[in-house]
Order: sequence, then C-alpha cells, then structure tokens
Amino acid sequence: MSPVSVVGVSHLTAPVEIRERFAFAPAEAEAALGRLRTESEVQEAVLLSTCNRTELYVCPAGNERVKEAAERVLSDKAGEVVGGTKQYLYHHEGEASVRHLYRVAGGLDSLVLGEAEIQGQVRDAYELAGQSSTRPSLAGPILHRLFQSALSVGGRIRSTTPIGEGAASVASVAVELARKIFGGLEGRQVMILGAGSTAELVVGALARDGIRGLVVSNRTYERASELASRLSGRAVHFDEMPFELAKTDILIASTAAPHPLVTGDGFRQARGSGRRGPLLILDLAIPRDVEAEVGNEPNVFLYNVDHLHEILDDNLLKRRSSVPEAEAIVEEYARDFLHWYGARSVVPVIRSLRGRWDDVRRGELDRLLRKLSHLSADDRDLVEAFSKQLLNKLLHDPTRRLKQGAGNGRAVEFIDAVRYLHDLETVEADSSEGLELDDAQAMEVEDAETVEVEDTGTTDG
Amino acid sequence: MIAFVLAAAGVAVHALALALFTAEYGQLPLNGLAPSLSTAALIIGIGLVATLGLGEGRRVGIVLVQVVILLEAVAVSLGIEPSQELLDFQGWWFVFHVTLAFVGLGGLAVAFASGVLYLVQLHELNTKRMGRLFQFTPPLATLDRLGRAGLVGGFITFTLGLVLAWLWTINFGQSSDLWNVKVFWAVMSWFIFVAALGVRAGGGVKERRSALASVVGFSFIVFSYLGLRLVSSQGGFFL
Repeated sequence: MSPVSVVGVSHLTAPVEIRERFAFAPAEAEAALGRLRTESEVQEAVLLSTCNRTELYVCPAGNERVKEAAERVLSDKAGEVVGGTKQYLYHHEGEASVRHLYRVAGGLDSLVLGEAEIQGQVRDAYELAGQSSTRPSLAGPILHRLFQSALSVGGRIRSTTPIGEGAASVASVAVELARKIFGGLEGRQVMILGAGSTAELVVGALARDGIRGLVVSNRTYERASELASRLSGRAVHFDEMPFELAKTDILIASTAAPHPLVTGDGFRQARGSGRRGPLLILDLAIPRDVEAEVGNEPNVFLYNVDHLHEILDDNLLKRRSSVPEAEAIVEEYARDFLHWYGARSVVPVIRSLRGRWDDVRRGELDRLLRKLSHLSADDRDLVEAFSKQLLNKLLHDPTRRLKQGAGNGRAVEFIDAVRYLHDLETVEADSSEGLELDDAQAMEVEDAETVEVEDTGTTDG
Repeated sequence: MIAFVLAAAGVAVHALALALFTAEYGQLPLNGLAPSLSTAALIIGIGLVATLGLGEGRRVGIVLVQVVILLEAVAVSLGIEPSQELLDFQGWWFVFHVTLAFVGLGGLAVAFASGVLYLVQLHELNTKRMGRLFQFTPPLATLDRLGRAGLVGGFITFTLGLVLAWLWTINFGQSSDLWNVKVFWAVMSWFIFVAALGVRAGGGVKERRSALASVVGFSFIVFSYLGLRLVSSQGGFFL
C-alpha cells in the first residue's frame, strides 16, 4: 500500500533554465493547490518550490489520475518546453517518496550537500498547504505526519552529524574567514580589484553582514564604475589603488592581469605608513594578482584560489563522510513512518473485528440474562462487565499483532487472514460505511484500543 | 547556559568552603600557600563566570577553567590548613591589599586565556585550516578586546594593591626593602604588567605581541611565585 507519491523536478534532472520555469511563487502555489483540490481526486497535497527543486507530494498514491493531476500542475506552470516537460520530471511512489522527502529535508539531495535552508523551505511548503482561507487544508493526517517527521529528520541529521559544518562555497568561506578575523563585519572597508563575477558573489555575501564601504578598482575605469554602481560602492582609478589599500580591511582580487598587481614592495609602501590592522586578502585570480610574499607581512591573511579550494574540499569531504550516518537516520524514520501508516491501514478491520464479536457478546449476554432473571441489577451489571472484559482480553493480542504485522509491511495478508478467519466480509458488506475511515473514526478506534488495554490491566490487577 | 550555571555553582560552593574555613579557624584564607592559592582560584573563577556571559568571548573559559583547576589542585594537594606564619601586615590593610592584588592577577589570567586562544586562532588562520579548532576559537578581534580589558583592569587593581601596601609601610614605619621576597615578587609582577601593556603601544602587529606578552607574563608570574615560595625561608609571604 502506498501512502504518498511525489512528482518533481530538481537540479539532478534539469538545468537552471528549465527549473526556473517550474518555480512557483507562494501565491501561485496557493492557486495551484486550490485547483488540484477541486479538479482532481487528490485528498492531500504539499507543493515544495525552491531554487533547486519543485516537488508536489500527493495522497492517495497508487492512483493514476492523481499522478496525472500532479504532473499537470507542474507542466502547466512550466508551459511549452522543447521535447516536453516529462523528460525532466521524476516520480516516486510509496516508500521511495517517503525516503525522498526525508533526504530532501536532511540536505542529502541538495545541490550543496547538507545546506540548512531547505529545512525552512520544507516547513514553509507544509504550512502553505495547511493554511488557506479559500480552500480546505491540504495538509491532511498523512502529509501532516510525513512532513512533521521530515522536519525532525532534518533537525536530527544536522544536530548529530557534521553534514552542515564548514563553509561550502567561496563566498561563505570568505565570510567565515572575515568573521574569524574581525568579529563582526560592521564598518569594515572592502576593496575589489578587477571585476570578476566570483568577487561580486563574495561581496554580496559580505554585504549581508554589514560592511561599511566598498571600493572597486579596475584598469578600465568604466567597468569599475559599472560594478561599483551595481554593488552600491565607489569606483576608483587604478593608480589610486595603493592609497585605498592602506584603508582596506578586506581585499578581493580577481583581475585577468598576466602578472601580480600587488607586489611585496608595493604593498609595504602602501601600508607602511598607514594603519597596520588585520587585512584579509582573497586572491581569486589565475594568474595570481597578489605576490605570495605579501602573505608573510604581519597581520596579513592571504588566501589564493588553491587555499580556498583546499578548504572547500576539506569541508566537502567532512560533509560527505557523514552521509552514511545521515542515510541511517533517514532509514530509521522511514521505517517508523511506514510502520505508523501500515498500522493505520488495519484500523477498519480492527473496527469490524471488534464490532463482529461485540454483537456476539451482546446476543449471548441477552440469552444468559433471560435465564438468570433472578439476578439483581448490580449482579447483572457485573456479568455484563465480565463479558466486556473477557472480550477485550480475547481481542487484545490479535489486535496488537495485527497492527504490528501491518506495520511490518504485511498488512494485506494479515487483513485477508483476519477477515477470512472471523468471517468479516459479511459484517463489512452489511456495514453502510466504507473501509476507509476518516481521522475522527481512526482516533476513535485507537482510543477504544487504549481503553481496552487499560481495562485488561485492571482485570489483571 | 549549562556551562554558566555549573561554573557559577562551582564558584558559590568554593566561596562557601572558604567562608567556612574563615569561620572555623578565625583566619582569612589569605595567609599561607594553599589557602592563598585557593583564594586566587576563587577570584579567577569569578572572572571565568564573568567571561561566560560574553557571547563568543565565553570560550576563553575553556582556558580559564584549567587555570582554576590547576591552582585548586595544587592547593588541595598541599592541604588547605590554617597557617602558623605570623604576619606583620594584618587587618583590613592586608585584606584589601591581597584582594586587589588577586583581582589584578585575575585580570591577567583573563588576558592569558585570551592570549592563548588568540595564538591558536592565528595559527589556524596562517595554516589556512578551517577545522574544529578554527570553528571553536573566537574571532581574533574579540580575543584581543577581551585580553586588553583583562590587562588594563588587572593592571589598575594590581597597582592599587601595591599602592596600599606602600602606604602601609609609610604609615607604620615598616621596611619596603626590595630584596624582601614578597616585595621583589610583587614589584616584578607589576613590571610584567607594564611590559605587557607597553607592547600594545607603537606600530606593527600589537595584537599578537600583546597576546604573547600576556601568556608569557602570566606564566612567569605564576611559576616565579611558586619557585620563590618554595625556596624562600622568609615568612609572611602573603600568598
């Protein structure tokens, strides 16, 4: 039995120019979920849309029309795509979809292994499905349980494994280094040498931490000016660079110059008479823009491309080494979820079983009490209580084992056996209700079982 | 939070134990090697609790706690018992003098701990590693600020302690012979403070120099004290 299925597109199946066509803004996601609810047999649905993936989780699974409806929602959003949208879509059913969501929430399926942002995005997607003034909630009992446990999986993976430790991009390495040197970045002066795109990314990351001023210097003043205006900085002519260097806290060099632009002598001359506070230099250029001997100057922290890649490789290695541990967590939670779902599927049979034997009990009790008409009202109550307790005791083990067996993936054979042995087909055929119970009914049966166990305990005591 | 609560509880228990010592023997735990070391450990412990409330700076506590444990371990192994030494220098003069000197050394201990972590972080940055040590150790700027605060605060209180002792010698016509071991050690410690502060002045990389000076200075003061205390035959040595 499949609890849930997922259809989606991600960085593993589609390039960015395709992925961006599948991306839903929150309002668009809301409208799509509304349509899905009214125009299909979908009972529960959650739409997860991030820059690296768009996925639609739906219940019930194993239903071709539901699957088609889910695919249609994504394809409609993408519009016309050469060769069709299906070539980029993946589809997981049942257990695979459960494991997939857990891996997504844990960052195991992310472009940057172990990234933490996805955890919040999964939570947002679930909340969007649940809260709406224009349609009924699409976060029903199954997806509620699935997404809550997915968030637990993500939290546990990040807190018990090093999968999210260490910076995973040049920009985040730069921010981490700057923080470890300067503490906060508020009020720090940054200079970009050249106009490379990586430098722009690094400055973007630093700017989020509150740098004070940005200076861009390039051999071509126009290009410097263009980049400076884009980053809300100030352009300076290349010959002013040494003067600006004396005031700089973080230097990012990424020119295409064939020889070093910051030489040891030039650096000492520029910084010599000025302040001697710490200076972080990120030389992202090949060939290098900054002579290696500059790194030997006191209070200068020089990192070139090789240093940065070495750090990134180290961090990535650490993250990768934690994958088996994270996968084990995914497996553990998937097992728990499937056990819960399996046990849930036997609730109607348990209900029929209890109803069947309760009818027998009532019939036999009536017959007995007619023969024992001399009994007082209190004694009659005692006999009735005894009959109930006896029934509870008799059904306790079969009920528990049925749930256990169903949770272990043997729901169908156990349900069939119980129906056959207890002749439940007749009972269920007579029943006006279907086999699928709504939430309230399921809870009612679970409550009854709890009471039953408590009753048994009382008798034993 | 757990570290803060545990450290605060430890300091409270330690303070209570020293208060009981005072009540039982009618003698402040400032006289004799073991009680004095225990009091020094208590004051550095108070510094430790204070640093645990300092955001990223709280990690300095990992070094401070070891200083506290080391001092207390030496004190306990020697046996914290009342001293038979007769002090010339007694009463409130003595209490204020020793307490101020201890607080001053506590400040230097904070500078020492910050200095150790500063040098560790500097090493991590220079070797271009971003391992667990790099992640754990606070930023250089934070450590430098904390070290400077410990050094300046420690210098002021230590100086006040010495001034108090000097005023006492004038007031009661006592000798302040520099070759008296305790006077020699106290003046030497004061000069170490001055030197550690002095390296912050001038150009170059004053942060690294200051961290080194704090580490070397504090270590020198502690070991020179233990050395002098063990070889000296003079009584009345306040620590």
